[in-house]
Amino acid sequence: MNVSEIRNRLKPPCPALDVHVHPLHCFGPYKTVTAGEDAHLLIETGKRAGVEKMCLFSLCPGVPREPTMQQCREANDYVQKLREIAPDVFLPFCYVTPEFPEESAAEIDRCVGGMRFPGVKLWVSRRATDVGLDPICEAAIKHDVPLLQHSWIKTTGNLPGESFPADVADMARRHPKARIIMAHLNGGGLQGIEDVKGCPNIVVDTSGGDPESGMVEAAVARLGPTRVVYGSDMPVRQLGTQLGKTLGTTLSLQIKKDILWNNAARLLPDWAGVEVLP
Amino acid sequence: MIIDVNTWAGHCWALPVDGSVEAVCASLHAVDVGMCFLSPMSAAWFPNPHSCNGEVYEATNEQVEISPVPILSPRMSTWREELKTAANHSSVKAVKLLPAYHGYELQDANELFAELSKTELVVIVQTRLEDPRRHHPLAQIPDVSAEAVAAIAHTFGDLQIIIGGPRSYEIAALGEKLLRLPNLWADVSQADGMDQVKLFVESGLTDKLLFGSHAPFFIPHSAVLRVVNDLEDADAEAILCGNAMRLFRL
Repeated sequence: MNVSEIRNRLKPPCPALDVHVHPLHCFGPYKTVTAGEDAHLLIETGKRAGVEKMCLFSLCPGVPREPTMQQCREANDYVQKLREIAPDVFLPFCYVTPEFPEESAAEIDRCVGGMRFPGVKLWVSRRATDVGLDPICEAAIKHDVPLLQHSWIKTTGNLPGESFPADVADMARRHPKARIIMAHLNGGGLQGIEDVKGCPNIVVDTSGGDPESGMVEAAVARLGPTRVVYGSDMPVRQLGTQLGKTLGTTLSLQIKKDILWNNAARLLPDWAGVEVLP
Repeated sequence: MIIDVNTWAGHCWALPVDGSVEAVCASLHAVDVGMCFLSPMSAAWFPNPHSCNGEVYEATNEQVEISPVPILSPRMSTWREELKTAANHSSVKAVKLLPAYHGYELQDANELFAELSKTELVVIVQTRLEDPRRHHPLAQIPDVSAEAVAAIAHTFGDLQIIIGGPRSYEIAALGEKLLRLPNLWADVSQADGMDQVKLFVESGLTDKLLFGSHAPFFIPHSAVLRVVNDLEDADAEAILCGNAMRLFRL
């Protein structure tokens, strides 16, 4: 067996831009103590998999579901540290919580307006139907950056503030100028795809969940090839298993490149410096 | 040649995927799998799971060598007959159990394990088919504890047992038992997480891990990348092929 040959043959046909990565100070297999070690481990894993750029957001150490604004600020300062270590790799997103709408808008001004973070991250403190998201969406629109919103449909029950895809669609309709990345294609599944189909300002990321067969093809078929972007949810998931969701499809080479890089590149602001591949 | 110890064929109830033998083998062949251990998917839900085994007994493919893995259920009164059929079939090297789907606890299957110990067959105990968060709301099937599988391996030392589809945290928790029990193995078909297989290798588990894709539920391309991306070639080769050759005496 020639493992090197297999590795080379199965690798991505182009660099990959991962829109959904968490630093290791939140969770994961390593007990990192410094931002430098955190950055090093993420970069080395990315190199092995062919992931050259990562949209990075912290959910705070301890991963509180309802973080304070101080925790959000510290989380954002942490990912800024990682960007300072490797500005060519990390694209930090500003983590905020709709529990504190106005403070969150101010934090977006600080991170996106001040430090040029190229995106905003929302998790599970409030569902996307909550009016607390409105000032956050408006701030993202003002700064011309995408919003990445966690979503899932869990048979075992969503968390109280955890958005369903239909909630994200509601947010997209309230803010048609917002560019929304709905996280976790496999979490929402086939129902989730249908829930956001009518919202052209939503793209779906492939991060998280198992590498289930047929899901990326289904998303492309129902949403179109420009509304699916590659994401991993590392360190919860491994880059290879998540890349395989796209690489292991029968989609065309061009569509695979669009999912792995171009669709996300088009969502990011110019200052992110991410060029669309030919 | 990659050897895949965990594959299925049949109608996939939850995903838009072709589960025919031909389609599954084509997806495996595309990532260099040369041999697969194939079980009938429909056996999970069919009232007589044994009647589904014909699908894999009869399966053949030009690109991928198929070793049928019939499903046994000790809840069926005729399980001895089915075991005899499996043991007498020249291509069968393993049988698979789905305790959660067939409604029994592992400790209630001691008679079956004792009979299996008298054969050359390996037993695969599948701990999960789908993420419980994605089950049909009216058909929620609990995972089987990997720890409980390890307990069976401890009791039946002559029986080679593969834990099918354990999660990374379960393999990590069982590390010492995997090393201590020569008849206990784990497939990595559901061992996700950053660098997880690499960390298993670093903790000395290389020789106890087997490659599994869980196709067609999961994408074989993902399964192979899980192993080859983060490992040295020799370790990857052991997991992709060498360990299975040793276990199944290929």
